[in-house]
Amino acid sequence: MTIVSGKAEARRTLQSARSDVLRKMWEHRADYAYVLPAIAVMLIVIAYPIYYTIELSFFNTPPGLQLRDKIFVGFNNYTAILTSGVFWQVTFNTLIWTIASTFFSFVLGFAAALALHRDFIGRGVLRAILIIPWVISAVAASYIWKWIYHSDFGIIGAVLVELGWAERPPNFIDSVSTVLPSLIVVNIWREFPFAMIMMTAGLQTVPEQLLRAAKVDGANAWQRFWHVTFPHLRNVSTVTILLLAVANFNSFIIPWIMTGGGPSNASHIWITHIYELAFGRQRWGVASAYSVLLFIILMTLGYFYVRALSGNERKDGGA
Amino acid sequence: MRRITVGGAALRGAVSTALTISLMSGSALAAPPVDLSKWSPEYVRSIAGTQDFDTAGDCAKVTPLDYKGRLTFWYQGVFEGDPDLLRQYYKDFFATFRKTYPNIQLEEQALTYNDLLDKFRTALLGNAAPMAVRLQILGGTEFASKGYLQPLKPEDVGYSTEDFWPGAMKAVTWDGVTYGIPTNNETMAFIWNADIFKRAGLDPNKPPATWDDVVKYSKQIHDKLGIAGYGLVARKNAGNTPYRFMPQLWAYGGGVFDEAKANPTYKEIELNSPQSKAALQASYDMYVRDKSVPVSALTNQQADNQPLFLAGQLGMMISHPSDYNVMLDLQKKATGTDKDKAQTVIDNMRYGLIPTGPDGKRAVVFGGSNIHILKPEYVEGGKVDEPAAKAIICMWTSPEWSLKMAYAGSNPGNLNGFKTKWMKERLDSIKFLDVTTSMLPYGIPFPALPQSPEIMNIIVPDMLQNALTGAMTVDQAADDAAKKVKDLMGGGL
Repeated sequence: MTIVSGKAEARRTLQSARSDVLRKMWEHRADYAYVLPAIAVMLIVIAYPIYYTIELSFFNTPPGLQLRDKIFVGFNNYTAILTSGVFWQVTFNTLIWTIASTFFSFVLGFAAALALHRDFIGRGVLRAILIIPWVISAVAASYIWKWIYHSDFGIIGAVLVELGWAERPPNFIDSVSTVLPSLIVVNIWREFPFAMIMMTAGLQTVPEQLLRAAKVDGANAWQRFWHVTFPHLRNVSTVTILLLAVANFNSFIIPWIMTGGGPSNASHIWITHIYELAFGRQRWGVASAYSVLLFIILMTLGYFYVRALSGNERKDGGA
Repeated sequence: MRRITVGGAALRGAVSTALTISLMSGSALAAPPVDLSKWSPEYVRSIAGTQDFDTAGDCAKVTPLDYKGRLTFWYQGVFEGDPDLLRQYYKDFFATFRKTYPNIQLEEQALTYNDLLDKFRTALLGNAAPMAVRLQILGGTEFASKGYLQPLKPEDVGYSTEDFWPGAMKAVTWDGVTYGIPTNNETMAFIWNADIFKRAGLDPNKPPATWDDVVKYSKQIHDKLGIAGYGLVARKNAGNTPYRFMPQLWAYGGGVFDEAKANPTYKEIELNSPQSKAALQASYDMYVRDKSVPVSALTNQQADNQPLFLAGQLGMMISHPSDYNVMLDLQKKATGTDKDKAQTVIDNMRYGLIPTGPDGKRAVVFGGSNIHILKPEYVEGGKVDEPAAKAIICMWTSPEWSLKMAYAGSNPGNLNGFKTKWMKERLDSIKFLDVTTSMLPYGIPFPALPQSPEIMNIIVPDMLQNALTGAMTVDQAADDAAKKVKDLMGGGL
């Protein structure tokens, strides 16, 4: 008897919860209608490609067959990737590229933001000049830098030879040992203004009275920065670093245009390698498996990004 | 000596043999409009301007001139390395087509050599391809084997199969069916700067006879003058690389498969044979041992060699006859003393046959382009306007336009093009054309396999880069490339 009444009670609770959800949905029907187009578009342009990429990652797509004639190979693509030497080389390159580009872009951008935070004559002009690398087309910048670095008649090499500092032009992008650092320099040059803008915005939120109070209490410039300014910038720094890291992980234009991933794969990063696998070699299956792995990594970074943003909101809400 | 004479007994003897072997094998020939067994610069001159053709009249028999329709068309167009003259002919062609077929709504799109394959493949996956496409010679087999193309032979647009180079017809044939029509076919030649040769202590009028000589000459030029000797190109995913390395590979007796033989089977992989390794060693010697070629060879395309050559900083290179016009165009854009320096280089520009290997074997890539019609299911909208497609194909592959569209850098795919008045005109106006035309009989088509684009654009350049950067030894790089080809042919991931 007790058991029967307990089950009935549970059923009633469930029905009540369902009707409650349905009632709430009905009450918010206009809201759902407003977001419906956006959800539909997202399903088409995001959800379906993700599903299809995951599906494709379990198939072999030889160059002599159409994609519809693909052959199911289970996890073979993933096994092939993880056991291939190129995967580890490309992963190593990607890590170096992402970490170095993110770190130096952030540090340089932060330094520029601090330098430009103080009022001085020409500050606006200088700020505008520093933003130029970020606003010009990445494609145009890549071609310009390719010529600057050119191993035979690049301007850097010519200047060094002219000044007698080098016997022959240095080999920037035609050597396996120098190509990646050379490309990272270009990437940092292009990205540091973004970090500068973000950190400039953050610096403007640091309460002036706190800094003045710290000064009155005898804190020196470093102490004021470390104990007052920097804690206020923690969240914006986290967001900036995460955005830079995601952008760098996804970089394509600079390495592809300047070197095409060469020489000898020395400047291939994940995205350029995936592009070559898919469009140059038509290994859609392997490229999809790479993409799925990349998706997981980026989703993890995205999770931390959202957490950092949520932390900001909670803090702002509680302030 | 401004014009190099390359005719003569030796050439004629080689021509008839090589022509028979490399180009006439394959389909049973009826009567070609020109006598291929007599092919020589003199013969080409003798037939130029001997026949008139009525392009509009011929094409009207295929598609009436008042036909009303719509056509989407992609083609490998002119790029930064092409002369202005060719740009004008491309403009003229589309203007003439619109005038000839005023009721066909033509939506054409030009793409560069390096972008076309990627974009076309992507469009096919989304069933968004154009109705007709003009592809590089390397691409036809890949798409035919996958079933994207409709059967299409010269007879479908009013010509005869015998009107086209037999070697070129091989490149549009898959499994015994013809899927396209050659628009143009070309072979490159060897170019050198006579002034640089003279200053380096070499005979200014004598090109290197063998590839071993190229290595020696390149070193001598670099050691004496401090400039690059030979314009090596080893960029990945760029058509320029296989077009320059494969002649070297074949001349040494190597190959990817047996594609240099008269009747290739493509069964045995020869990329790591001793002969292939010798060819790779020659590149290694120039780049690593002697440092006598541009350091930028690994990221360069031929378009990067052109300004180097014009600046007098490069002694030798392999390229089209159109490079002479390119140099003239670039010289016009130069200013101050650069203009005079450029003119000196142009005055000292010489063309000759591509060097032979140690056993006297001479080879060059039999290049060109083909035009195809897509199956409706892969085309945007699911429909192909066949009469409209055949109209543009008839016009492009006509004797007149196959010649004009190849005016500066190639040769007409339709052999009747050699008989037109425009052929005579260009023989008189374009220097060195007879040299590159003379190389045609030595032409070897890329393997007619769907895997060829990957082999030529990625595996072969990778092999070069691995050896030249020291990432692998010459032996390892050749073995690695051979293994990649083996895996690819075996359907590996």
